[in-house]
Amino acid sequence: MISNPGYVKRRKIRGFIALFLSTLAAGLGLFWLGFILFDVLRHGLTAINLELFLEDPAPPGIPGGGLRNAFVGQILITFYATIIGVPLGLLAGTFIAEYARGTKFARVVSILSDIMVSVPSIVVGTFIYAIMVQPQGKINLGGIFGVLFLSIILAIIFGSILNLIVKKVIRISESKAGKVVNLFVTLSTILFGLVTFLILMPKLVDRIHGFNGWAGASALAFIMIPVVLRTTEDMLTLVPWTLREAAFALGASYYNVIKDIVYRSAITGILTGIILSISRVAGETAPLLFTSFNNSYFTLNMNEPMASLTVTIFNYAMGPYEDWHEKAWAAAFVITFFILIVTILSRSIIHLKYKNKS
Amino acid sequence: MKRFIKLPITDIIFALISFSASFIVLTLIFSTILVLYNESSLAIHRFGILNFIFTVDWDPVREVFGAASSLYGTLVTTVLSLLIAIPISIGIAIFLTEISPHIMKTPVGIAIEMLAAIPSIIYGMWGLFTLAPIMANYIEPALQATLGKVPVIGKLFEGTPMGIDLFTASVILSIMITPFIASIARDSFNLTPNIVKESAYALGATHWEVIRDVVIPYAKLGVYGGIVLALGRALGETMAVAFVLGNNHQITLSLFEAAATITVTLANEFTEADTDIYLSSLFYLALILFVLSFVVLAAAKIFLLRAEKGYSR
Repeated sequence: MISNPGYVKRRKIRGFIALFLSTLAAGLGLFWLGFILFDVLRHGLTAINLELFLEDPAPPGIPGGGLRNAFVGQILITFYATIIGVPLGLLAGTFIAEYARGTKFARVVSILSDIMVSVPSIVVGTFIYAIMVQPQGKINLGGIFGVLFLSIILAIIFGSILNLIVKKVIRISESKAGKVVNLFVTLSTILFGLVTFLILMPKLVDRIHGFNGWAGASALAFIMIPVVLRTTEDMLTLVPWTLREAAFALGASYYNVIKDIVYRSAITGILTGIILSISRVAGETAPLLFTSFNNSYFTLNMNEPMASLTVTIFNYAMGPYEDWHEKAWAAAFVITFFILIVTILSRSIIHLKYKNKS
Repeated sequence: MKRFIKLPITDIIFALISFSASFIVLTLIFSTILVLYNESSLAIHRFGILNFIFTVDWDPVREVFGAASSLYGTLVTTVLSLLIAIPISIGIAIFLTEISPHIMKTPVGIAIEMLAAIPSIIYGMWGLFTLAPIMANYIEPALQATLGKVPVIGKLFEGTPMGIDLFTASVILSIMITPFIASIARDSFNLTPNIVKESAYALGATHWEVIRDVVIPYAKLGVYGGIVLALGRALGETMAVAFVLGNNHQITLSLFEAAATITVTLANEFTEADTDIYLSSLFYLALILFVLSFVVLAAAKIFLLRAEKGYSR
């Protein structure tokens, strides 16, 4: 059979066709990318102008105006999402990569957050709506948790800054005095957290009713946490274990090893992961639809409904006015190219940094 | 225990803080299920589970709600988009691992991954303004003129081609999920040991036969994982579909009709729900979607873990 020349020819032709189709498939993928980017570029460049960034929207149907409120809202929401999501993801990733390395707990958290990365983002929106937008009976549970969480984070930031300052100002080598200083720092951190909680509580909880910017930021943070957690875990596992052992041998505590050795060697990877996660949530629309909602006025108040670029694109593109469509294209242009540039940059940084190691 | 007490206080505090952070992450996913269940309990009591899933009506005025039309839309768009995306993305993976010259591998790979980085709302907007008119004017009439004439399959292509329909939505979804399958398939293909491929060449196999009979079977589990992962993604995709589906609660055989998916229903109606039972039914839909995608994603994870184990052996 093999000696039959027709058979060999058939096999060769079949192979050629299959490989040709594969190449065609790759071409199709590139074609879609080029088509979408070209379209966004074409429509975006004609619609973009300086007013877009500097002016608030004109009343519906009247041409002119800009999207200043949406740009500012997007930046605020993303910023607070980063403030909430990054510390949580970073700490959790550190715990499962360091303290709980190899345990069942670490595996479960890691697998669950892998699943969380792909959970439908609109479901996250409904979840945040249920706990933060819709009041829970008389007590606003989501608000209380939010404030509690915010004050804990603020306290941690305060504590670490205080710790740094104290360590820089008073150089103590004695262990007893060092203990007293540590105790002082810890106590004042806890006190700071309590005071912040008590001050913020009445200010925020009562006012968080209905759609608000905090809810939008929390929804984005929910999506961000697993991404940051997984990259942190991956980057920390890449740090060779012998490096830690060397530090242990010098008598460093695990905390010091993590802070001075592990974080320092993994910092590029972790930072790139954080930037990637920011660019990921910057394009999310679905979780913002019914958390931060939309606002046609300029606001810096996170307790109010807040406009964001993505929700504005959705409303404007579905709207009836030609002028709105142009604005939507301009906003789409800004957001797409921001995300693409950030993604390419951070990917190439990771590529350069870890090319030699793996 | 004694060893732990001797640790410096900062170490204990840091361990505790980072532990509570990871614990919060763990509780997030369970509290999502609990909260969604709690919010939808009204609708669960009123409509039951099976009854809700198989009821076609979605009528806010009469306060009768059923998930069948939304579920049907979700299933059709997901299955159709997978049917389009799987061959294309496996073709891309084959190109990237076997055909492409070395210089082109990285740029083409990055370009394909860029498709995954574009926000879904851009896909939706592009679909509404660019793809839908093209579909309505050229592709859908062409399909009707050819495949529409075939007796049984023709039923799928009935109706006036408007561009705002299940077919356009599936095409957009398929573009969105292609990079997920392609990059996982590429990574799995890359793991095939060279010695196995070379043995096949030595037996006289052509390039394509090596790919078909050695590389693909070897990477099977990883590819399955990628496909199931993409399935989970497609189930939960909102914005890309919301623009081009029309949110019309109906079950039609034709692909050229407006329809609704769970995500589109949620995106369009959540802020407009004025009665408790309406809102509760929407939460019920969200719960169904969450459970569905959780199960699918867990299955994907199992496939991928198994694939990893198989390769390391």
